[in-house]
Amino acid sequence: MFGYVRPYRPELKCKDFDLYRATYCGLCRCLRRRYGLIAPMFLNFDFTFLALVLWEGEERWEPCRGRCHANPLVKKTMCVQSPALELAADESVVLAWWKLRDSVKDEGFFGGLPARGLSLLLGRAYGKAARRVPDFDRGVKVCLEELEKLEQERCPSLDRTADTFARLLQSAAPAQGEQGRILGQLLYHLGRWIYLADARDDLSEDQAAGRYNPVAARYGPSGDDKALALTMDQSLGQMGAALQLGEFGCRKALLENMIYLGLPLVQRAVFDGSWAQIKKQKIWRHDT
Amino acid sequence: MRDPYSVLGVSPNASDEEVKKAYRELARKYHPDNYQNNPLADLAEEKMKEINEAYDTITKQRSGGGGYQSSQSYGGGYQQSYSSNNSTYARVRSMINGGDLAGAERLLFEVNQRDGEWYFLSGSIAYRKGWMDEAMQNYSRAVQMDPNNMEYRQALAIMQRGAGGYRPAGYGGGMDSLDCCTTMLCLNCLCGGGHC
Repeated sequence: MFGYVRPYRPELKCKDFDLYRATYCGLCRCLRRRYGLIAPMFLNFDFTFLALVLWEGEERWEPCRGRCHANPLVKKTMCVQSPALELAADESVVLAWWKLRDSVKDEGFFGGLPARGLSLLLGRAYGKAARRVPDFDRGVKVCLEELEKLEQERCPSLDRTADTFARLLQSAAPAQGEQGRILGQLLYHLGRWIYLADARDDLSEDQAAGRYNPVAARYGPSGDDKALALTMDQSLGQMGAALQLGEFGCRKALLENMIYLGLPLVQRAVFDGSWAQIKKQKIWRHDT
Repeated sequence: MRDPYSVLGVSPNASDEEVKKAYRELARKYHPDNYQNNPLADLAEEKMKEINEAYDTITKQRSGGGGYQSSQSYGGGYQQSYSSNNSTYARVRSMINGGDLAGAERLLFEVNQRDGEWYFLSGSIAYRKGWMDEAMQNYSRAVQMDPNNMEYRQALAIMQRGAGGYRPAGYGGGMDSLDCCTTMLCLNCLCGGGHC
């Protein structure tokens, strides 16, 4: 998870912006309560999106005040604890941990030291989270192993490699019932989109380092932005279609903003290279 | 059955015009075209049926509860109007519709001679799985081999429109409608400028 999933602020209503921040802060607090002081460091926009979609549709959001983790002198409005928030927190820790393990493997001994250090810090929290969501943890592990194998084989199929990450994210939603099917479809295409966006973002870096890159493997060393944008747009289209079928209650407008405006903008930024700048804006920096 | 007014999301006091407007918006949203070959098509079909029934009920009630009302609701469009002459392909089609993608794929790969329909069906399976790139390649191949087939051409055309399809009011033309700001300006507004 890489922080690609964001709302587009100028088109957000104030109430939706409040809801977004409250969910973000609520998830942060939930991570702190369940996993201690280290876990909130790994909070990002993508996990907030996960919390938003996992909420029961008819559940209203009740604001409450709580102390900010980053700055305990400030009180902030946050969502009250709920099963959806707890599930999102558990899965966030699992995802953050596997992401770190992945970096440790990829970066070699010295390059992987920071990630190794962080994963040591997160280790206890991960153990706890893995016990709470064992199926999800196992699923993530299996999908990442499959992905690693495909990368080693230098798999030329864009869909096959993206499918592993897409299924990984898909498993974050409970698979039961209509809403489960809808969420599964939405998260599958979100995962696919994130994987492709990340691959495009890493294209020149991977090329310089001689590493495997799925976009290069499919379209050639310099990629093919037009074709890639089309296939990513198709995933966005599928996400929109799924969103319209689900029950998201008061969170629907916010989710629409993220899917119809936020994601396409990020996609554009990844393609024109301005994303490198935007993603540096660390999300745990609370100025206001 | 649910209250027809709540299905359409309007109050029972709404004017005929408002009811019609709400109905049209919903019909646009759940229109079969937006869910063609989508794994969630059955759910969209149910929704469409529900709003059609609600609209029919309201128009009947309002016209005095009886008689023949020329119903303006959208008819179904989910019926598979295409069929195969080849019996294997017919089975593959019914398996795809039933959601058995792995079975359909296995059966399809037993076919030795690969014609336009083979590539079309292969594309449909990929599309259902969410493998958009392979779906696109297979549909293109099908159209290439059989350029006059409307079914293949339509499937390819839907893919070529990218994220097109239904969008709620206010999200109309996607990002291209935000031409007033330069990309950079827009991007600074993506949440993350230290504000949330």
